[in-house]
Amino acid sequence: MLAILFMSFEIVDELRFLSSANSDNVHWTLSQAEVEFLEFQNAVDRARMADDPPPNLDEVIIEFDVFYSRLATLGTGLLYSPLREWSQFRTPLLDARERLENMIPLIDGPRTELAAALPDMATELTEIRPLIRKMATTGLEFFAFESDASRTSVAVTLSRVALLTIGLLMALAALLFHARRVTRKSQDRERELAASNARLHTIVGTSLDGVIVSDLDGKIIDFSPSAEKIFQRSAEDVKGKRLGEIIVPEYRRAEHEENLRRLRETGNHEMLRKGRLKLDSLRADGEIFPTEYSVAKASAGDEDLLVVFLRDISHRVAAENELVQARDRALAGEKAKAEFLAMMTHEIRTPLNGVLGNLSLLEDTKLSLPQSRYVRNMKISGELLMRHVNDVLDIARFESGADTAQEQAVHIGHMIQDIVDSQVSNAQSRGNVLQWGWTGEPAGWLRLDASRLQQVLLNLIGNAIKFTRDGRVTIEAELQREGGGLALELRVIDTGAGIPEADQKRIFEDFQTVERAVGESIGGTGLGLGIVRRFVRAMKGEIGVESDPGEGSVFWLRLPVTAADDMRPALASEIEPEAADDRQLDILLAEDNDINLELAREVLERMGQTVTTARNGQQAVDAAAKRHFDLILMDIRMPVLDGLAATREIRAGDGPCRETPIVAFSANVLPEARDRFAAAGMSDFLGKPLQTTELRQVIARLSKKHRAMAPAAEPVPAPAPAPDPVAVQPTPAPAPTPAPQAAAEHDRDSVIALLGRRHLEETEELFDWLAACPDDLGAVADRAHKIAGSAAAFGQQRLRDALVALEKAAETGDPDAVAPAISRARAAWETAPAPCVG
Amino acid sequence: MIHSSFRLLTAAALTALAMASSVKAEELPAPEGTVLLTISGDIENTNGDGIAEFDIDMLRAIGETEITTETIWTPGTKVFKGVPLSTLLEYVGADGENIDATAINDYSITIPMSDAVPTGPIIAYEMDGELMSRRDKGPLWVIYPFSSSSEYRTEVIYSRSIWQLDRLAIK
Repeated sequence: MLAILFMSFEIVDELRFLSSANSDNVHWTLSQAEVEFLEFQNAVDRARMADDPPPNLDEVIIEFDVFYSRLATLGTGLLYSPLREWSQFRTPLLDARERLENMIPLIDGPRTELAAALPDMATELTEIRPLIRKMATTGLEFFAFESDASRTSVAVTLSRVALLTIGLLMALAALLFHARRVTRKSQDRERELAASNARLHTIVGTSLDGVIVSDLDGKIIDFSPSAEKIFQRSAEDVKGKRLGEIIVPEYRRAEHEENLRRLRETGNHEMLRKGRLKLDSLRADGEIFPTEYSVAKASAGDEDLLVVFLRDISHRVAAENELVQARDRALAGEKAKAEFLAMMTHEIRTPLNGVLGNLSLLEDTKLSLPQSRYVRNMKISGELLMRHVNDVLDIARFESGADTAQEQAVHIGHMIQDIVDSQVSNAQSRGNVLQWGWTGEPAGWLRLDASRLQQVLLNLIGNAIKFTRDGRVTIEAELQREGGGLALELRVIDTGAGIPEADQKRIFEDFQTVERAVGESIGGTGLGLGIVRRFVRAMKGEIGVESDPGEGSVFWLRLPVTAADDMRPALASEIEPEAADDRQLDILLAEDNDINLELAREVLERMGQTVTTARNGQQAVDAAAKRHFDLILMDIRMPVLDGLAATREIRAGDGPCRETPIVAFSANVLPEARDRFAAAGMSDFLGKPLQTTELRQVIARLSKKHRAMAPAAEPVPAPAPAPDPVAVQPTPAPAPTPAPQAAAEHDRDSVIALLGRRHLEETEELFDWLAACPDDLGAVADRAHKIAGSAAAFGQQRLRDALVALEKAAETGDPDAVAPAISRARAAWETAPAPCVG
Repeated sequence: MIHSSFRLLTAAALTALAMASSVKAEELPAPEGTVLLTISGDIENTNGDGIAEFDIDMLRAIGETEITTETIWTPGTKVFKGVPLSTLLEYVGADGENIDATAINDYSITIPMSDAVPTGPIIAYEMDGELMSRRDKGPLWVIYPFSSSSEYRTEVIYSRSIWQLDRLAIK
């Protein structure tokens, strides 16, 4: 383009040169010079020839001047300077001019002299003539040459013009081509744009979400059909109106306007980044309903737009609410069910405890051989039933969340040893060898939830023994380092029947039992492993089984643990629970029911404990104020001062028993009741009637805890020497043979018989008194309560229940309700079995 | 085209002006020195038998102007002084379309009246402050302002630049 432009300028310049003629008609000038020369010569000749003087000299002078002027022009004019370059022209011109100059004195001189000189002048002129001729011909020659050059130059210019034209045409063609391409492109783009617009329109039009477009002032520009449906407004009506007035509920309008203002000022708003928002919107009929929407900013040309996508979620919100309610109801139902289950289980356990307690006592009486067998069978069944009930209770407590994990430092080796010891006889009874050992380095003190782990291990070992006969049960323990932490892996390996692969998964589910083909009845609720799995998971561990049917099974569990080396000195005494068992404790027993009191005293004394009794709460408080006891067993319901009040009093005072463990002694084992006991300051709980094993466990637990709490004070006047921590290290523990059973030298029979007789007498006495229809209903309630306690202890459950009913009826103060209760109690008394405590 | 029509208009206007200003023919003063220029033809104002004759003083009196220009016939830039043709024609009340200009040696050309515009040609009598002699293209020379416009640098204009002028005839 530049080249073309440059060329154009050059050509225009050239044309201008051609149009502005620099040359006058030079030919004319040259021939004119010749003509004027001849005129001058003629004038001279005429003047010379004139016969009558004076000759016409004026003409000569004028013609001279004219000719002179012409030569001067040729000699100095710009126009002729190229011509003058030629010597063929310049030389004659200079010669001629010089000759003319020489004539000037004559011309300007006196006329007479001029007249006289005319002949000479004529001669001179004949000499000048060929010079002028020469100039004319040379000039012609020059201008022929010049015009040739000029023609060539014109031709060149014209061909350049042609070239330029071609160039221009090509440029035009290129331009045309380019223009067409651009046009086509823009047409394509237009088509594409139209298509994509149509698509977009279809998308927006058919989208289920409402789409609203507004400017930054909130003025609605577009309102999609879905938006029309959601807001029940037509697009025509709302276009141009303000967003806030159309879709924003009044209570949110100020906030909405503020948002728009901030958006306008800053060009940005967190609203744009938040993604999906949930906010209320307003329908045409004034209904406020939840919407979910997102806001985006778009630029159309130089105008900013807001695009709002929104969706009516009122159905979804309603459904969600319904779901939440349904879930809450279901959860509440679950909880109620769990609580109910727990309560029922307690209710079952209480009488079951009665059965088992009495069986224990019965075993110690003189029995015939078949009787002992029956008793033993009953006891086995009863214990099995108790285990099932305990299983269910464990799960119910776990599910209702009453049970929480409690980590403590334990010596893991000793713990396993204890468990193994407790199961040795069980294993032997099925001809099994039970043993345990460490794989790798033995571990010492670890921090973990000991009671749960104990239960898990007991369960697994119990199962292994149960499913193995004349075989071997081995427990392997291994401490593993995992990442930065420690893990304890325990494997319970048996050589029993094994579990088919198909069953391996479901055995950890609740209520799953494995059918045995062998006709060997192995009872169970199917809850044991379910509990185990719950506990392991609660301890953040894992559990699994590997088994080959016929070869045996391996139950493994892995728990994260932490080392607890710092605990070692403080808890050194913990490692030998048997030591505590041997200690003779000084026990205060508070119980208002004589029979229960005697029964409990009997059990405790047989264990070798020293027992002091109190008949009500006040007596217990008084006794506790006088001297120190190692343990206080406290009935809850007692006259004068009940067990809870007595406990609070002892705890609140500064007597010697302020720190003594106080164990609730009650038939009520509901969790809420236990919470109440704990709140009053009680340390533990024992069910009624007293079971020796439970009592032993509680005593062991409390004396441990008590010593751990105040190891330095050690106020227990224990006759048995404290065990030497060094000596009790990993020595094999003695078999846990229950001492009381082994040493039952005491003359129990006489005592029990005595108590039984006394119970009979008292009961007889009560009914005689009742027959007289006493007016004092308070006394009726008290006496009924007292005998009810003895009846429970002597296995007369129906009598006990009837007396409790009577007690309640008497407490209402309604004589009409008391009479039938008395007759029902009498009927129960008449059919009651003989008191048997064992 | 625009120029030529403009010139026509100008000429017409000037003619009308001249006619208006000289409804009655005026007697021009007679020349006292050597007569340099004789105007004949369609003129209103005369000082002889249908002619107007001018000496140098009369020409100077009508109105002087200067043109500084190069010419193709002289070396370098020259300053010419003279009377504008338009002024002169108005002065004599010329009424015609063409002016026949003739030189001492009877060389003759035709100048259209339309050339006679105020910024146009002058009848020059001085070059570089000196009266021009007959020997040097004097005493009168029609000078166009060649340097002012390329319109004045054409062969036609060059041919109209007549020197050794002594007669004008208005037709």
